[in-house]
Amino acid sequence: MTATLARPAERAPAHRTGTALRTAGRWAGALAGAVAIFCVLLLAKGADPVTALGDMVASTFTGASLQQIVVKATPLILAAMAVVLPARAGLTNVGGEGQVVIGAVAGAGVGLVVQGPAALPLMLLAGAAGGALWAGVAAALRLAVGVNEAVTTLLLNYIALDVMLYLIYEPWKDRHGSGQPATRPLEVAARLPLLSGTAIHMGIVIALVAAVAVWLVLRATSFGFKVSVVGGNPEAARRAGLPVARLILVAMLLGGALAGLAGVVHLAGVEFKLRPGLTTNVGYVAFLAAWLARHKPLPTVGAAFLLAAVTVAGDSLQLDSGLPAATVNVLMGLVLLAVLGWSRRAHR
Amino acid sequence: MLIVDVLTGGVRGGTAIMFAALGETLAERAGVVNLGTEGCMLVGALGGYAVAAETGNPWLGLLAGALAGALLGLVHAVAVVWRRADQFATGLTLMFLGLGLTSLFGAAYVGKAAPGFDPVPLPVLGDIPVIGEILFRHDPVTYLTFVAAPLLWFALNRTKAGLLVRTAGERADVLHVHGYSPGLIRTVAVTAGAALAGLGGAQLSTAYAHAWFEGMTAGRGFIAVALVIFAAWRPLWVVAGSYLFGAALAVAPALQARGQSLNQFALDALPFVITLVILAVLGRRTLRAAPEELRRVFAR
Repeated sequence: MTATLARPAERAPAHRTGTALRTAGRWAGALAGAVAIFCVLLLAKGADPVTALGDMVASTFTGASLQQIVVKATPLILAAMAVVLPARAGLTNVGGEGQVVIGAVAGAGVGLVVQGPAALPLMLLAGAAGGALWAGVAAALRLAVGVNEAVTTLLLNYIALDVMLYLIYEPWKDRHGSGQPATRPLEVAARLPLLSGTAIHMGIVIALVAAVAVWLVLRATSFGFKVSVVGGNPEAARRAGLPVARLILVAMLLGGALAGLAGVVHLAGVEFKLRPGLTTNVGYVAFLAAWLARHKPLPTVGAAFLLAAVTVAGDSLQLDSGLPAATVNVLMGLVLLAVLGWSRRAHR
Repeated sequence: MLIVDVLTGGVRGGTAIMFAALGETLAERAGVVNLGTEGCMLVGALGGYAVAAETGNPWLGLLAGALAGALLGLVHAVAVVWRRADQFATGLTLMFLGLGLTSLFGAAYVGKAAPGFDPVPLPVLGDIPVIGEILFRHDPVTYLTFVAAPLLWFALNRTKAGLLVRTAGERADVLHVHGYSPGLIRTVAVTAGAALAGLGGAQLSTAYAHAWFEGMTAGRGFIAVALVIFAAWRPLWVVAGSYLFGAALAVAPALQARGQSLNQFALDALPFVITLVILAVLGRRTLRAAPEELRRVFAR
């Protein structure tokens, strides 16, 4: 049956070198344009762009910053895989943020109840299940009543945030905590261990394993192949007798589980307790990382590291130049816009 | 009366969303989704507040807010229409651009006073019991929405420009045949729609909150996008939807004023939950109402 379905054609081999050169040129031009616009904006703000960018780059390549990049890339990689997998099935999962939050909430809930060595594995499981559940709502709405998942996942993000805030401010609030409301910190046994001698937690291993697993599943399994067919042409997939609805559902559930894992890994590796502002747009940044790499799993890992570096650079921008940390969102937005719109020829 | 307070608050709080949703209706009728509405509202909110603070004239602020929104919308239009970038990814990118730009240029205006719009009860109409209180004792910008929605309906359904916009959304090929450029029409529609979103943002900062703070739109732009779907791309239904949201936002303060505190976060989630439920209930019916060219974006 699958023999009749050809894989989507790769780019024609002819003129490959010329095309590659032109592509590289276009990327370089697009990125240079983005940085140039960013410099103009900094100038308009009265900051010296050369110093600001120089400081940004310099402080990003110190040892501590490099470790920070790995730590920040960890949930990004997982949440980006939550975009990649559904995207292959033709779905737009913009709900990474909410799935990450619910993953962290589920993990924290287990961490509050379960003690001892069983806590961490159970937390990871609960986080994945929570994320899958949250993504499942959007998938169910898409399959049952045809509501577009990009819209529902966005709405679910805000609901997830309110669920978390409710728990933090009311039933799960740490009565002995001071300052900002938060849950009781996870006990040490429930935290992810650090890689020896660094500030990097084991989550990065989980994230990289997950990314390779997604790559393998998409590349080498019949499930991955069928999902790609559904994403490429759902009508053809239906005619070929593929269970389109089930494939869409599974892709979305697996994606949600990975995003949920991102949340609980971030909780057990970095935060140790739920607090407002826990996720700092991880889900949205991950969505864009996946787009940056055009939904190819391994390049997506690279894009996640790149955007993590930009985030860390943003912190140094704040420290060195006194600009708000969110300023870096401008640079990120410009780079993404350049890549989305200007890194290849527009096909008309 | 609680119900009157909630409805009054609904009109007050629904205004910003309505501007944005009307703008999104315009863009989507031309066949383009602008998820960047959130970003357009943000730059509109800051642009409006900053110009009002600098010039002392809130009307100039309103204009600046619309202009700021339009500029960001133009970026979306160029990227999506002329460069064929993905609509969802570009829209989200706009949100980041809006967040970053307003954070970069807005820090100076946090906690700074600026002249804004205060409620101006309409003569006669404002004296009608109940209805007058709900509808006719607001700031002037809110009154603008009373005409904006019917105006958009008229423009879309009864003018040549509206016909061109609708054709760009339904059968772009037909425009080609008649010598029009669907790309140009979409660009104009998206930009004008984003100007309305910017206007909504400016209403939020200069008339609703009387302040600027980072991320003050708090998802209203995304609500606007969802609202357009459940309004089935019809401007007059957008009005009803916007007030429904405004009312959901107004329940919490109205209850608190009466000494009853329902959980704040449950109420914050309410508008989003209501949208989800309505989308689920309307289901495929809404999709059938979608402009043809838009269906390609939504149900790939």
